[in-house]
Amino acid sequence: MYAALKDRFLSRLFQWGGPRSGTIVLAQRRVFILPTRQGLMFAFVLLLMLIGSTNYNLGLGFVLTFLLGAMGINAMLHTFRNLANLRIAAGRAGPVFAGDIARFTIHVENGGETDRYAIGLTHDRKEAVFIDAPARANVPATIGIPAPRRGILRPGRLTLFTRYPLGIYYAWAYLELDMQCVVYPRPASPGLPLPPAASSPGAGAERGNGQEDFSGLRQYHPGDSPRHIAWKVAARDQGLLTKQFSGRAETELRLDWALLPPQLNTEERLAHLARWVLDAHARGLSYGLRLPGATVDMAMGEAHRERCLEALALFEQGGKGMNG
Amino acid sequence: MAPDTGRKPRDVANSTGRPIPRNMTQQVEKVVAQVGSIILGKARQIRLAIACLLARGHLLIEDIPGVGKTMLAHALATSLGLDFQRIQFTSDLLPADIIGVSIYDRENGGFRFHPGPIFSQVVLADEVNRATPKAQSALLEAMEEHQVTAEGETRRLRQPFFVIATQNPSYQVGTFPLPESQLDRFLMRIHLGYPDNEAERALLQGEDRRDLLAGLDPCMTAQELIALQHDAQQIHASAALLDYVQALVGHTRRAAEYVNGLSPRAALAVLYAARAWALMAGRGHAVPEDVQAVLPGVVGHRLIPADETGRINGADVAARLIRQVAIP
Amino acid sequence: MTDTAQPLAQRHVLWLVLSLVMVAAPHALRLPWWLIALFATLAAWRVYIGHVRIPLPNRWLLLLIVIAATAGVYLGYRTLFGRDAGVALLVAMLGLKLLETRSLRDAMLLIFLGYFLVITNFFYSQTMLTAFYLLASVWMITATMVGLHYARTEPPLRVQLRTAGVLLAQSAPLMLVLFVLFPRVPGPLWGMPQDASTGVSGLSDTMTPGSIANLILSDAVAFRVKFESEIPRAKDLYWRGPVLWDFDGRTWTAPRFLYGKPEFDPGGKPVRYEVTIEPHYKRWLFALDLPGRVPPRAHSGSDFQLLAFAPVNSRQRYDMVSYLNSTYGVRESRFALRRALALPDGFNPRSVELARSLRREFPDDKALIREVLRRFNTQGFSYTLSPPLLGTNSVDEFLFEVRSGFCEIYASSFAVLMRAAGIPTRIVTGYQGGEINPMGGYMIVRQAFAHAWNEVWIEGEGWKRVDPTAAVSPLRVESGIAAAAARSDPLPLLVRGDFALLRELQMTLDLFTNSWNQWVLGYTPERQRLLLAGVGMDDATWQKMAAALLIVTGAIVAVLAMLMLRRLNARVRDPVKIAYLRFCDKLRRKGLPRGPAEGPGDYARRIEQSRPDLTPAIAAITRLYVALRYGAQTGADRVSELRRLVRQFSA
Repeated sequence: MYAALKDRFLSRLFQWGGPRSGTIVLAQRRVFILPTRQGLMFAFVLLLMLIGSTNYNLGLGFVLTFLLGAMGINAMLHTFRNLANLRIAAGRAGPVFAGDIARFTIHVENGGETDRYAIGLTHDRKEAVFIDAPARANVPATIGIPAPRRGILRPGRLTLFTRYPLGIYYAWAYLELDMQCVVYPRPASPGLPLPPAASSPGAGAERGNGQEDFSGLRQYHPGDSPRHIAWKVAARDQGLLTKQFSGRAETELRLDWALLPPQLNTEERLAHLARWVLDAHARGLSYGLRLPGATVDMAMGEAHRERCLEALALFEQGGKGMNG
Repeated sequence: MAPDTGRKPRDVANSTGRPIPRNMTQQVEKVVAQVGSIILGKARQIRLAIACLLARGHLLIEDIPGVGKTMLAHALATSLGLDFQRIQFTSDLLPADIIGVSIYDRENGGFRFHPGPIFSQVVLADEVNRATPKAQSALLEAMEEHQVTAEGETRRLRQPFFVIATQNPSYQVGTFPLPESQLDRFLMRIHLGYPDNEAERALLQGEDRRDLLAGLDPCMTAQELIALQHDAQQIHASAALLDYVQALVGHTRRAAEYVNGLSPRAALAVLYAARAWALMAGRGHAVPEDVQAVLPGVVGHRLIPADETGRINGADVAARLIRQVAIP
Repeated sequence: MTDTAQPLAQRHVLWLVLSLVMVAAPHALRLPWWLIALFATLAAWRVYIGHVRIPLPNRWLLLLIVIAATAGVYLGYRTLFGRDAGVALLVAMLGLKLLETRSLRDAMLLIFLGYFLVITNFFYSQTMLTAFYLLASVWMITATMVGLHYARTEPPLRVQLRTAGVLLAQSAPLMLVLFVLFPRVPGPLWGMPQDASTGVSGLSDTMTPGSIANLILSDAVAFRVKFESEIPRAKDLYWRGPVLWDFDGRTWTAPRFLYGKPEFDPGGKPVRYEVTIEPHYKRWLFALDLPGRVPPRAHSGSDFQLLAFAPVNSRQRYDMVSYLNSTYGVRESRFALRRALALPDGFNPRSVELARSLRREFPDDKALIREVLRRFNTQGFSYTLSPPLLGTNSVDEFLFEVRSGFCEIYASSFAVLMRAAGIPTRIVTGYQGGEINPMGGYMIVRQAFAHAWNEVWIEGEGWKRVDPTAAVSPLRVESGIAAAAARSDPLPLLVRGDFALLRELQMTLDLFTNSWNQWVLGYTPERQRLLLAGVGMDDATWQKMAAALLIVTGAIVAVLAMLMLRRLNARVRDPVKIAYLRFCDKLRRKGLPRGPAEGPGDYARRIEQSRPDLTPAIAAITRLYVALRYGAQTGADRVSELRRLVRQFSA
């Protein structure tokens, strides 16, 4: 009960309210400020100086004490200003493998005429990255968040903070940005050997659908299949040339959930499948992926690899994410 | 008439915009009207296509067969007084089929180059995604360089040179959708789409389109078109307008909603297209509305939304982009 | 670099060391040499450690140094407390703390200690020069602090210094308010340490030959006077100080206790003035002869010495009124008269003999006095600032051999002669004269104006001032010491005042110094009350002051915040755009706002649909705006036309 009340109070106070897409403007009431431990110490030293000045009747002592005291108040404005009215937009987060560090980028836009310095971004109040945002500039800040498990990783509530210029105040704002990062399953290591190619209609060009990968012409050698002679060219009296095809059909793979040893559990299977995807991609093979309830068609290339890994990452996730 | 062609586009931004001669705009309007009489109810697409041409870009039309892609290309070519060639892309199309081939001439005792269909002013590359990447790249190289190299000899293509490629929606089987890097070479991609009810009725009631096409007269000469292209380059783009283009491009590079940001080439494309659009509106300077008008065509095929769940078409992406970026 | 536990970079160490050295430097004049060497060694050591990146020294070693340094301070000062020993310890500890500084947290502690060290400098000097120097030091420390919280590895020096400077400069108004309004408590809160008064010259409660002559060499200011009424003539400017009664043959001494009440019959017009006295660490307060009032927290006896309850350890101010022609001491007690006749036996026999013979010759007191003064005037006596040394019977030697001397020996001789002749006499020390600062309209009384004169008691008339020096050298009294002193006499350059330009410069400087003293250093609780009463805040209690302080502080912070937060949003510079935005704003107020991504043409078309009546105006403005902002046209007249259109536009 108390926890719930506290939560509601805090969420009111700090205007938490779920992730937001688009740009967050750090309007002045979204920025909070408190003195730091150093700030309290500074106040204590000022008190000592005030007492000393009174005791020894030091006119200049009063001047100094009040100057520093005024600066202490003034520094609050400076620290606050360092954060206020920044515009924060969620940036991209590239996919990572489980166990790696997911990198989330936010873009800090300073539309004003005042340079901002030493702005920190943290997700756990322990580690932070710092950026400077000069006037009329847009600066990216990238924060690393460990991605322990496969699936969708959301950074959760990030904190943008600053202690600049004097370190006696801590100003901060909470950022709830709609960001997510796909975390692929960590590939098994060592993995199982790739399964044998599923359908391999024999050597070379004798394929049902092999014409799509024409790669060029070469001189005819006796024994070349008549189907591959470039008859159009021959008709122009340019001699016999043979059409060449870059081979790949004999290495078509189907990476199937069912091919894995039955004693493996879901995560282990996904890990092995991820390893297979990477291995197949590294060898330049064309491959497809079949999972219970999900299939990725035969293809190759970077985009395909990503698609397969994403399918593995989201397998049985039902779209629910996790917070980092 | 634009007196000079040696100016780089960079300089144009600072040059003073001149009012465009009224008769030139009228000529463009005539082309729009004439093509519009063949392709019914697609005035906006026709304008975009012409803007693309004036900006010296190439056009990609992505749509299902039978909505009048070929007709549009043909009508444009005829109305602009340009010659026209159509290349049907098939899976066994060879680069030589596009570029041309040297054939031994028995009479002269030497090889003679037989130019391919690319040596035409308006080239319709139909169903470009059905050809192999090899053949596709031959076309794309020609588009980019405005010249072809065949058998060790470089040959310039004719001016103006305008490629209209059509592409079936990529999910059809047996196709090689153009990779993203290649898509970037098209200044614009548009969709024709089905005609609306009224236009379709007019189509059904009207004459055979082929006969109409045969009866078209050119509205301007190729020379006049080249002059218009020069004029388009001279359209003034103020610092405020460049700010806007940069803000748009910068937003795509930062926002999480897009897989990749727009390239500098894309930024140039937006600017050129906006200039052409301003020219067609008879203005000596480009305004933000020009940018917004051409943006769907220019960035639709270059921006890939990160959220791939629903197939978001280019127009939606651009519309969202326009909404998100304030005009500086 | 803002994680508090993060190790310090070398450049932070350098900044720290540099600013601490800057703050500690003025103390070098006062600290023992070994402490200076220790501090320098420790600082250099820390810089070296940061340079070669070796670990900081062992804690035990540091502890050893702490103990040694503490012992050294104790041996040197015989105490660990009090002002001087405290400063010495603080400097030593700062050096040691440097060697223990690893993280930002440590560095911040050092910075705060550095601020504290700044204030210790004010124990010794509070001049304007000190203030400027230490302000620069504070700037350095603050810049160090800014650098510590800078994220980038290498902050531009410019940014660091500018930020610190801006912080301090912006604090000035608030500082002023705090200074004026912060409720002051009269100090000291606890006993003033004894060592706070060394090495300051001034009149003392004793007078030996040469003690005043030493003062003459100092052009230090004793006190400043602001007259409310007319400034008295120079020959009436006798500033009354310690009254010396007792003579032991060599030294004249003031009585340890006051007796009686200051009673007098005022004569002449009252002279009203305000005295601001420099700290001299004795209890005397000075006033024109004859003081008609006792300042607050001071008392007086029948010989009109003004004694403060506590030594004057800080600059003090008091209002005074004096009556130049008063009669006092008519009913002097017999005890006092006997004291004013006492002479030690066996000293100055020739003088005593001379006095007795004169007494026989002149039975009338006044005639006798006139005769003695006449002799001083006519028998070859001269006035000099550098008299020869005198022996045991100083008066005899002076009267019969040397015949040249300074005021103290004249006063002393006169008193001895009078007492021997049976006329009660005492010596009054104090200052004579004063120079007017024409710019400030106030009078400066310097230590160099120190003087000694006599008072004799005449039956029925009371105590009368007799200045034997005036008999010898009337110039001394009429025109000041500079006129009286021989050219060869060592007199401070400033007192002599030969150089007009130099003098003017010096007067200007003194004007500043006086204002500085009055308003910065001398801003005491009383002055605060007076000032606040002056602005209509009578009987300012601390509650009232606190309330006023809060209100004014709040107002200043609000203004500052407004100024600082104003430039956070993107500012439109293009006058064309500004005019157009104003136009959009007018429409927005009519419920027709422009979308951020809506082009001007689209907007105009949309508005025209809902408000066809505005079409001509909107079209004109939009056309002009587009032409100016996006077209190639420029021209100030076109811009002002747009402004005019927008101004005239009303939806």
